[in-house]
Amino acid sequence: MARLTRAIRWLRGLLGRVSDDEIDEELRFHLAMEAELLERGGMTRDLAVAEARRRFGGVVQHTEELRDVRGGRIMENLLQDVRYALRLSRRFPAFTAIVLLTLGISIGANTAIFSVVNATLLRPLPYLDDSRLAVLFSQNPDKSLPRFSVSYADFLDWRAQTRSFSGMAAGTGSSLTLIGDGEPLRLNGQSVTSDYFDVLGVRPERGRLFAAGDPATESASEIILTYDFWQRQLAGDPKIIGRRLRTGTGERTVVGVLPRSYDRDNPGVDAVTVLDPASIPGVENHAQHMLGVIARLKPGVTQAAAQADLSAVAGRLAERFPEIAGWTVNVFMARDEATRTLRSPLLVLLAAAGLVLLIGCINVVNLLLTRSTLREREVALRQALGAARSRLIGQLLVESGELAVGGALLGLVVAHFVLKLIVSRAPAGLLPSEIALDARVLLFTLVLAVATTLVAGLWPAVAATTPRLAKALRDGGRSSSGGIRALRARRMLVVAESSLALVLLVCAGLVIQSLRNILAVDLGFDPTRVVTMRVSLPGPRYNDTTQVQFFRDLQSRLEGRAGIDAVAAANTPPISAGGITTNLRLIGSARADGGKVMGPATAITPGYFRAMRMRLLRGRDVAWSDVKPTIVVSQAAANAYWPGESPIGRRIGFGPRDTVGFEVVGVVNDTRARGITVDTPLMIYLSYAGATNVARTMSLVVRGRGDAASIVATTRAAILEIDRTLPVYNVRPVTQVIDDSLGQSRLNTTLLTIFAMVALALAAVGIYGVISYSVTMRQQEIGVRMALGASSNNVLALVLREGGLLATTGTLVGLGAAYFATGLVQSWLFGIGRADPTTIAGTAAVLVAIALLASYLPARRAARVDPLVAMRGD
Amino acid sequence: MADRSPVTKGTLDVIVLRALAWGPMHGFEIVEWIDRTTNESLDLTDAAVYQALYRMERRGLLRAEWGTTGNNRQARYYKLTAAGSAHLRDETKRWVNYANTVTDLLTAPIKPQR
Repeated sequence: MARLTRAIRWLRGLLGRVSDDEIDEELRFHLAMEAELLERGGMTRDLAVAEARRRFGGVVQHTEELRDVRGGRIMENLLQDVRYALRLSRRFPAFTAIVLLTLGISIGANTAIFSVVNATLLRPLPYLDDSRLAVLFSQNPDKSLPRFSVSYADFLDWRAQTRSFSGMAAGTGSSLTLIGDGEPLRLNGQSVTSDYFDVLGVRPERGRLFAAGDPATESASEIILTYDFWQRQLAGDPKIIGRRLRTGTGERTVVGVLPRSYDRDNPGVDAVTVLDPASIPGVENHAQHMLGVIARLKPGVTQAAAQADLSAVAGRLAERFPEIAGWTVNVFMARDEATRTLRSPLLVLLAAAGLVLLIGCINVVNLLLTRSTLREREVALRQALGAARSRLIGQLLVESGELAVGGALLGLVVAHFVLKLIVSRAPAGLLPSEIALDARVLLFTLVLAVATTLVAGLWPAVAATTPRLAKALRDGGRSSSGGIRALRARRMLVVAESSLALVLLVCAGLVIQSLRNILAVDLGFDPTRVVTMRVSLPGPRYNDTTQVQFFRDLQSRLEGRAGIDAVAAANTPPISAGGITTNLRLIGSARADGGKVMGPATAITPGYFRAMRMRLLRGRDVAWSDVKPTIVVSQAAANAYWPGESPIGRRIGFGPRDTVGFEVVGVVNDTRARGITVDTPLMIYLSYAGATNVARTMSLVVRGRGDAASIVATTRAAILEIDRTLPVYNVRPVTQVIDDSLGQSRLNTTLLTIFAMVALALAAVGIYGVISYSVTMRQQEIGVRMALGASSNNVLALVLREGGLLATTGTLVGLGAAYFATGLVQSWLFGIGRADPTTIAGTAAVLVAIALLASYLPARRAARVDPLVAMRGD
Repeated sequence: MADRSPVTKGTLDVIVLRALAWGPMHGFEIVEWIDRTTNESLDLTDAAVYQALYRMERRGLLRAEWGTTGNNRQARYYKLTAAGSAHLRDETKRWVNYANTVTDLLTAPIKPQR
């Protein structure tokens, strides 16, 4: 042991540093030598020891000074302070628990939201040099369509005439049927121009991608699989390259597998084929919008420059081709586009979590101030003994730092659970699957811990070491003027945190009310017990007549069966964002625009309104017996297109050149067909029966009586009776479609509400703390009041008034702040203004009520005070 | 013990270095050496000597090692480093020059000579 000590000392000696122990021992040695000398001079041993110490002077102070002189003691001080802080934490267990819980929850909330930000907004796209990748849209400012698909004709002209891009490629969704041994499998496909992956910047996992410049004919029989599909459906077959797959449209050879990262940005895609322009109906029509277009900016070209370049080209095209008059183009960076729907809610949630942390810090400041009042004597004593102020502040900061680190560790646990909640509540496809507490998140948490230490610890530390030692020693840390000053500061802190809590409460209140409004929306149809599923009738085997026949056959087969009430099909399922918006012509219209309008349209089979339980207001439903397609319009469309007139018998043309059109035979009630929060669209329902060139992929809507699974089973069986090779996919009850469409709103609302509740709880703790402290400080005054005849109720009222006043002041300040903050959640609001008086008054009332509740406990304690004890002031 | 001179700031370090010019010593020995050599005519606290030791150890003028005293106690022995010896030499020279100059000035005849 002695040898070890010597070894350590020798090592230290090499570093030229002397440890605290060594200083102590060296001084002990010095005093011992001195005492020995005095003893030899004739003193008794005890006297000699005392005299030696006297001669040397304040040993503690000199030790402290020597430590300062020695320098380089940051680590040792730190260790010492950490040890001390740990001891202290054990001395005040309740204090420690409250602080750790407060910091754990508020740091955890921030860490969780940041993890999501980290996995979405901060993550690059899985493509080479994604910062130069742009997404191009057709846009029509007059019709407020900023992101519309692009026609093949436009795409070719854009590519040929612009100079800002090193490459431009296009693609569209497609569907393929894979015919294997079992039930036919419907693949979710993409068909893309052959240079698509070069422009995108993707390298294959296996094999090769389409050769750029390859004539489409060469690649026409090729297929590229996504990693997920390869693993899931083909068990990661190592000999996949060159394998031939039988699809509904002929055999295709697998030439490559996309990397796993491609699935992240394109979830659900199974396979990619080359886009064959010949397969595009009306391929030369500039108004035939149907493609997604990507492009790569040349080095040094900015988004704005590319936009200007492309806008000029699009402007010339719009002049030349009347069918795209009024259309121009939008250039967006792919990175921004990928996170467009997430960015604003995430930033709002991050801000909300930040507010919670701020409130948490305020509480910790308050608690630390309270504790330093209790320790005023200790601090004063140490100062009197010669400890430098900087050293004491350092020590106090180490104490709060230790709490912050503890809080951060707890925060990681909290974040883990909050993240689980977020991931489980998020609608499918909204968030990437790999959200985790990675190194960047840990760093973020560490930064939060350090920031918390400084924000929450610095002021109490400075305040605690402000020299007023004589007074502190005399008063024993009670009822000093410093206490009153601290109380005033603390009241301000509570006002601040109440106001921040109110901001969150108001935002949460508005968002909750919005969600309730959304849930109360009259959809215009009955979504319960209706299941939708997609079927896709493959090309050569079905023509227009047999397609119509298929649905008619299916309807008549199914509607007689047990558990099935009604069956119909539509090419746009209910509550589908997007859907088809097309050029219409109100034939014979006297409108200024010549009856040329753009509106949502969907093809339906007879019986659709019955299956959806919509109400036919005028005329009749479309019928199988119609020789030519007929049209039913929604009430809103009737009012908008033929105001004050009956639409029955009017004709609507499809496309700008159609002068004959189809006859309107009926009017149905309005629905929220394109999303609950989307304004009632002016729907045009075109009969499938009798139509030509009809949609191949349709959504069945089946209303039944049993559960969704049995409805689906019955439907599937009936379909297979008609055609053994038809897959059924995207099977979802309409109620689930609605739920999913609300998923993000629900999640946002849930998180914001949780944050607001935490903020409210923290504010309540803060108010409780300050009122308790105030009651303690005013004990003498209360005693005097009671001695002079104040009743317990008077005292109760006195204290409650203080709490109420703090909360009311906080509320008033908070209302001002909320005025700005509610602007951030404005886009989340539905059917409610951001200054909704009921919500604001309600949340303010809740805050004040909670404040009074929090003040009640200390108030009752004050009211029970024995005046005699109180006045004695101890 | 009357009339003790205060130690000019900065000179204490040189004095301590000078003490160590004899060879390694522990703190108490250094204090004793100074007291003995000056006949206790310097106003110097023991703590100040230790401060000087730690200060110079930090600057690399000294090195310390634990050793055993004659009566078998553990004591921290200081010895000069090369830098310390050089510093002592320079400072001594500077101090002697300075002292001579000041002495010359202070002991010069009152009436200026022409």
